[in-house]
Formats: sequence, C-alpha cells, structure tokens
Amino acid sequence: MFLAFNRSRKVLGGLAAIALVASACSSSTATATPATSPTTAASTVASAPASSPAAGATACGTAPVTLSAYFETGFQIPFSETAEFTKEFPNVTFNITSDQYANISTSAARLLASDTPPDLIRLPTVVSLVKDKLLKNLDSYATTYGWDKWPASELLQNRVSATGERGSGSLYAFGLNYSMTGVFYNKKLATQIGMTTPPTTVADFEALLAKAKDAGITPIMQWNASKSGGGLVFPLQDLMASYGPTQPINDWVFDKAGATIDTAANLTATQHLETWIKNGYFPSDVNSIEYADANTRFTSGKALFLFNGDWSNADMDKNAAGNVGFFVFPSATAGGSFGTMASPLQYGIAASAKHADCAAFFFNWVATNAAARQINVTIGGSNPGGPADLPVPPAASGSVTNETLAVGPAIAKANGQMDFIANATGSIYASGWTPELQKMVGGKETAAGLLKAVQAEYVKEQNQ
Amino acid sequence: MKIDRRELYSGRITLLVLMALTLVPFVSMFTTALHPSGSYPVGIEWPADPQWGNFVDAFNVANMGVLLASSLFIVALVVPVSLVISTMAGFAIGHLRIAGASLLLPLFLFGLTLPYEAIVTPLYQFEKAIGILNTRLAISLPLIALYMPFAVYWMRAHFVSVPREISEAARVDGAGVWALFLKVHVPLARPAIASLGILMTVWTWNQFILALVLVEDPTQRTAAGALGAFQGHYATDIPLLCAGSLLILLPTVIVFVAFQRQVIAALLQGSVKG
Amino acid sequence: MNAADRSMPETSAQTDGQRRSLRTLPFGKVRRDTLLGWLFVLPALAVYGVFVLFPVAMTVNYSLYRWDGFNVPKWVGLDNYKTVLTDPELVNTLFNAFRLIFFFTVIPVVLGLVVAAVIRGSATGKLGHLARTVLFLPQVIPLVAAGIVWTVVLSLNGIANQFLTAIGLKGITQAWLGSFDWALAAVGMIGAWVLLGLCTLLLLTGMSKIDKALYEAARIDGAGAFREFFAITLPSLKQELAVCITVTVIAALRSFDIVYVSTAGGPGNSTMVPGLEIYDLAFFGRSVGTASALGVVLILIILVLILPIQWLSRETGE
Repeated sequence: MFLAFNRSRKVLGGLAAIALVASACSSSTATATPATSPTTAASTVASAPASSPAAGATACGTAPVTLSAYFETGFQIPFSETAEFTKEFPNVTFNITSDQYANISTSAARLLASDTPPDLIRLPTVVSLVKDKLLKNLDSYATTYGWDKWPASELLQNRVSATGERGSGSLYAFGLNYSMTGVFYNKKLATQIGMTTPPTTVADFEALLAKAKDAGITPIMQWNASKSGGGLVFPLQDLMASYGPTQPINDWVFDKAGATIDTAANLTATQHLETWIKNGYFPSDVNSIEYADANTRFTSGKALFLFNGDWSNADMDKNAAGNVGFFVFPSATAGGSFGTMASPLQYGIAASAKHADCAAFFFNWVATNAAARQINVTIGGSNPGGPADLPVPPAASGSVTNETLAVGPAIAKANGQMDFIANATGSIYASGWTPELQKMVGGKETAAGLLKAVQAEYVKEQNQ
Repeated sequence: MKIDRRELYSGRITLLVLMALTLVPFVSMFTTALHPSGSYPVGIEWPADPQWGNFVDAFNVANMGVLLASSLFIVALVVPVSLVISTMAGFAIGHLRIAGASLLLPLFLFGLTLPYEAIVTPLYQFEKAIGILNTRLAISLPLIALYMPFAVYWMRAHFVSVPREISEAARVDGAGVWALFLKVHVPLARPAIASLGILMTVWTWNQFILALVLVEDPTQRTAAGALGAFQGHYATDIPLLCAGSLLILLPTVIVFVAFQRQVIAALLQGSVKG
Repeated sequence: MNAADRSMPETSAQTDGQRRSLRTLPFGKVRRDTLLGWLFVLPALAVYGVFVLFPVAMTVNYSLYRWDGFNVPKWVGLDNYKTVLTDPELVNTLFNAFRLIFFFTVIPVVLGLVVAAVIRGSATGKLGHLARTVLFLPQVIPLVAAGIVWTVVLSLNGIANQFLTAIGLKGITQAWLGSFDWALAAVGMIGAWVLLGLCTLLLLTGMSKIDKALYEAARIDGAGAFREFFAITLPSLKQELAVCITVTVIAALRSFDIVYVSTAGGPGNSTMVPGLEIYDLAFFGRSVGTASALGVVLILIILVLILPIQWLSRETGE
C-alpha cells in the first residue's frame, strides 16, 4: 500500500481510522444516522438497487459501463473488491491498470491531467493534487450517501482546506479501509528470550532488544534502502509518540503554520533510535534492505521484531502462520501516552472522470456492503471503516488480523493516531527522512542533526 | 611476435579470470532463480530441488507474454521506420552530397552526446499536448528521433564509401534519383542496413527511461521498461525476480549470439564512426 | 564521436573527385538534385527536429521558470542555475557523476588495453574468440538487468561476499550497495563490467591495424614488451582510445538505469547522479525548472568534456 515499494517517496496516507474501531465496538458514540439507516443499507443496497435514490445502483445505471481504474500492484484489496462489485452489478466492469506505488506517486498528477483520466485511482499525498484541481471534490457524495455522519476521524485525513492544510475542508479522497501500524513479533523467538507478554514501557522493550541481541537473535528487522524509503521512520515515529503528544506531530504533517519536528521530545525519541542503531539492534545491511526483503526475512524467522502495518497481515498469516503476534509500541512510562501511525487507504476520482457517480457509488458500496467489508478484513487485514454501527466482520481464527483489530480501541482512547511523518510534504521522505536516517545508520548523522536537517528540508519545500 | 611461456600463461589466466568475473553474476542469477520461491538463497548454490517452474511462474506473474509482445511491437515500428528514413538521409548526405550537408552533420552529432534525461520532461509535456502519451507511439517516436544521429551518420559513412562510378553508370542509363536509390544503392547497402537494424533492435529492447516516463502501463512498454516495473512488484521474491530478469534479457542474448559477428562489427564500427 | 571523418582518409580524395564531377554537370541538374536530396533528408530531419531538438529548446526554456508542470510558470531568470550550482545536494550529484568516470572510463580503458594485448599476444585462437564474445555479453543486455544482477551479487548474502569469505576475508564482507564508503564504487563497478567488453573490442580492432613490422623493428632494437607498448601500441591507438573515452565518459555522465535499479541514489544520496536527480525533481519534487536547469548543465558538461577529446584526437590523427 505505501512506501515499501521501490523508490517510493510517499508513505501512508494519513491518520485516524482507529476511532471508528472504537466506536464500532462501543457503538455508544454512534451518531443516529436516521435518513438511510446504514446497517440495512449495507445489506440491501445490492439486492434492491432502486430502493433508495442515494444508495441505488442507479448511479451506475443498467447499461454496460467500464470504469477505468489505476491500482497499486501487489495489494489485493481493490482487485478483489472490484471483482466482487462486478459480480453484483454485472453491467459494471473495470479496466484496471496497475503499477507500483513509487510510480503512482510520480505519475498520479500526469494521469489525472490526461485526456483519459481514471475514474478510480490509488492516491499518493493529496494536497498538491487538490491544489492543481486534479481531484474530484467528494462533498456532494458525502451528503448523498451520508458519509458525513460517519465518525469524523475517518474522513479527516481525506479533507483539504482551501489554504492547502490537510485535516479540514472539502473531501477529496475516500478510504477503502483503515490501516494501523505497530510492532510484529515472532512468537517462537519471543518465547526463547522469555517474553511472555508485550512490553508495557520503552524500557521493557529495550530490555527485550538487549536480550535478543545477547541470544544471537537479530532484535529488529527493518527496511531502509532508498528504493523502499527509510523504514526506520516507523520505530522513530512510534518513539516520538511515546515521548511526546501526538498533536504537534499531526500539525507538522498537516502543514500547520509554525509547526516544527525539531522538539525536545522528538530529540529524546531520536536519541533512543540512535542508541538502538549503535547497539546493533538492526541488521548490519539495513541500509540496503528493501521493504519486501525485510518482510521475507522476518516471516522466515530471521528477527524478533518488525515495525510494519496491518496491510502485511495476510502475508504474515501465509508465510508464518500462527507464529506472529502484534502489539502497539508502548509508552515511555507505564500508563503514559503512546501512539501509532494509522491511515485510510486513500482512493480518489479524477476531476474530469467520465464515470464519477458510479465510482462514488463503488466507494460507498465498499464501506457498507457486507461482502465488501468481509473482503476488507480477510484480504486486506484492515478495518473497513464505514458507518459507526456496522460491525467489523471477523477475521479467521488464529490470524494476526484479530490482534491488530483488537488494539484499535485502545489507540483511539489514547488519542494516539498519527498521520505518517513521511507524508508531510512531497519530497520530505525522499529528500529528508530517508537520507538522514541512512546517514544515522552509517554513523554520519546525530540525533540532533537529523531533526534539524529534516526541518530545514520541510521549510525549504514549503517555501517552494 | 615471440612470446615467452610465462607471459603466455599469465595472459591466458588473466583472460580466464575476467571471463569468470563477467559470467559469475549470470550464473549466480541462474542458480538463485532455481531456489524455492520466497526463499533467501546465499551466493551461488545449486538448490537441492531445482524449481524450474519458477520460470513459468515468473512468465505468468509478470504477464510476460504481453510484455514481450509489446516490446516486439515497438521494435517492429521503430526499426523499419528508422532504417528507411536514415538510409534516405544518409544517401542524400553521403552520396548526393547535397549543399548544406556540412551544417547537418554537427546538428545530428549533437544528438549523440545528449543525455535523454535532459529532454524527458519536455517530451512528456509535448506528447501530452498532442495526445500520444501512454501509447506505444510515445516511446517509438522519440526513439526514432534519438536514433537519427547515429543512424544517419552510419548510413552516410556507408554511402560515402560507395564508388561514384556506380551512380554515373546508372544515370547514363537514364535512372532518376529515386530509381537510383531504390534499384542500385539500397541493394548495395543491405549489409550496412542489416547491422544497423540489429543494433537498433537491441537498443530498443533495452530502452528504459523513455518507457518509464512516457508510458505508465508496463504492458505498453519496452522489455527493459517492463523489467523495471517487474523489479518493483516482485522484489518480494528474489528467486522469481531472477527468473523474470533472465527471461527478459534472454532475447537480446539470443540475438547477440546468433548475429554475434554483425553485432560486434556494427557496434565497433558504429562507435568509431559514430 | 565524429571520428568518422578521420577514420576514412580515402574519402577526402573521393570528395574532391566528386565535387569536380558535380561542377561539370549542368547547373539546373545540380539544383534539382540538391532539392531532391533535401527531400531525402527531410523525414529524418523532421522527426529529429520535433522529438529531439525542439525538446532541447524547451528544456532551456523551462530552466528559466519556476514551474510544477501544471500551473502557470513563473519567470525566474537564472535562479534555477544558481540553485543547481550552489545547492550542496545538487552539486554533489555532479561530483558523483565525475567520480563515476573513474569506474566507467579509466577501468574499462586500462583493463581493455591489457585484455586486448593479451588476446593479440597469447590467445589468438579459440580462447581469444570466446573471450571476446563473453566479455561483450554485458553490453547487449538491458542496463536495468545489469543493475538487478549486481544487486543480487553484491547483497549481504551474495556471491561477492561468499567469495570473500572463502578466501579468508570475511571481515570485510558487507552489503556493498548500502555502504556509504562503497556504494558509489559498487555502482561504478557495474558500469565497468558493462563497458569492459566494448573497450576491449575497440582496442583490439585498433591493434590489428598496427603494422607488425614496427614491432619487429623494435625488438631488433632490443625494446622490451613494456617499451614496445608505450612507444608503438599506445600511440597507434589514439583514434580508438578517443572513441572509448568519449563513449564511456558520456555513459558515466548520463548514467540513470543502473543507479535507478541498484541504489536509487542511496544511502544518504551518496550515489545520487544528475540523471536520477532530474527525474526526481521533475516528476516527484515537481520542480521542473530546477530539473531542466540541471539538464542543461549536464548537456554543457558533456559537450565541454567531449569536444576537446575529439579535437585533440582529430588534430593528431591527420
């Protein structure tokens, strides 16, 4: 879904997501959604298309229609969802092109501006696309389908204000599902070093790292090659959330005026990461490990921990069935604050798309149809989002997906969702985080220097 | 030249070592391709149970049939067109010696030093404006243009070396320029045209950056462009990646081995002349 | 590159003869032929003009604006050039390109001389023939494939480290493409691997043209192999050396494919080259103006390096 791929420069979409898990579970916060009771809509939409003007298949008509779609290769979700959609609405087919995320990042603007813009497209960071008026404003669909009654946090990251700040304003993207990140661990190796429960403080976690190292086990597997983007931002941002509040970090990512990443709390966090590097907690060749490479090595038992997101659940279940556990990175002190990166899997519609209405109908269907939601959990490993009172479909027993879904409410309660710091500006990942983290691995950059350099790059890009 | 024994053997050993260095990466790739998909092979190591099926899997996973067909299509468009127009131009400059030819040569030569990266952005904008972006034409037309410096120079070199008497004899027989070109000179130029064609085939197959920028869909690209995409998608799986890469580079290697003499002669003369 | 003029001295005689014969033709006939001749050139010139020369002009034009590729461009004069020549990151890419010349040019040329001499001297038979074919092989595969092959070879688990371990050098094994000290050299070695065969064959062809009598005379004078090489072989190869250097220097300065595939510029920009930076700036950073300025600077650098080589080899060649 995101960075991972190749020369990927952009990462996760944005924040949130998890609040909806919380509300789905506790459903007490669910706003009464009177107009089109979503629960029933979900199941009736398909069978009774004409029943409601909002949810009817009329948006796609009954004549044969082919939506042009541009998906990310290697992530099954949209492919499965569109196939299921065609099964229910045989007149709608999809002409799918796919490419790696890095290429989507560089080409999204070009595609959206072309004469044959996609009706559905996997989006990289949205702000510049919105500024260039390449994306469809989804506000009217939100009203029609009642998305605006869903938990606000679901749509937050998909909003862009008139001044180009994210997190408020009109809706320009839709989350096919909502991912979250954390720490995967190898259960067998964990037992071997005496880890019985997930760590509850950073100190606990660091003690486990040291134990693993002493036992000859690579403590953390991570990718950090330029082609995949510096994966060390995952542990770094988790550390930041443990040593400081998440709000300033989100402000920074959303380009709020005056925001800085170079804070005292972040310095402490970065220093911890630096210590981990110096202590040899990462593989010696981490600077040349690519995303997929890191995952393969982790699932084949080459390391105790891996920082990654729930989109890799299916991979974990397939290649290391039953042997992978998941926890959210702990707080600095017991009971303290913590957080993690969470974001919608952002898809959008080209401003000049020919079948925008049908594409928006598809979005709504993915979020509300029972079969579509099940696909999201089973294949995507992520929370399907949607209306607060729709239940999250169950994952297969023994799947690590159950563990990732389970921690959602806790994160939401702690207000711990963050958008990804690699998403702050167009090139901050490629020109800031990745080279600086690589330099730190190579002993050529200090914690303080890293934050200063990234902040300088951030300011430079904003002034461009 | 008399060479002593020690010199003889040290020389041959040097050759063998360098040949080994050249081949080892290929061998390493081959043995890696035979390991179980998803595994993490070490160096050169013959697998206990060679997975020949990896080649079939890579072929299917990468949609390789479509990729190869696309590449062939581009070759079939670019090479003949380039040959025809560069032969005509080479004939005019090298044989007809048209006035103003001395201005044309430096203009074409400039293109030989040009870094493609420097013009991909305007090419992109231009092709978008004329509506051929994301089609095979988007790669083909710039490629034909970028081949012109070398191809025109190459054909000119051939025509310069053709004795004038041949033309004069034909003209006495009343042949016009067009007939002279088609009936007399093109048949004579066949070897030069053939070598140039082989070279351009290989170059087209291997073209990367134009494919990367001008065509989003890997199935509309050249083989090398598709390989770039393949690497991005299937880096997950080192053995499959190796198998796929071998499949994509195989055609050029076959062309090379089959037409070895022409390719080498062409490239050498090409570099000396070009 | 324009070695053709001097590689075929016999053509100048032809040219004279031909000019004379043209002059003897009636005036109208010449004009008609020239007109027809230009029609023959027209298609090639047109496609070259539209898809090469015009984009070059546009690149120069873009380089004077600040532009994201979509919105209205803003005239900034030479600001982008100032950025290219002062921004440490961009200057660094230019330096990296120059460093690559050592690997793309010096190594293949020097090693090519050795190999060609060996093939001439001690492997004129099957071995020599085989060596030529084998060494040339990397030249025909896509550079992207070369990058992928070497990524596997140079990885921590790769054959390079397997070999070093086998000969007792386990201590220095590492992920070469991920090392600040070695990544650029590793990328350079991929280039050397690709270009060695081309240089070898070019130089070999050149050597075969050298008059054997020169060597015999030298041997009679008591010259050793060493002096022979510097007194006879090297000077006779001026032409071929110029071509080798020209082709490989251009390859170094416009490298893209290998870097894109093997390191993507990392770690920490240590292998970032102008070609890749242009691509990133234009299509990722969406700074089309800066990317174009870097492109123009790269075009100029190549011309500045190549023209003297051509000029020097021409002067002595005639």
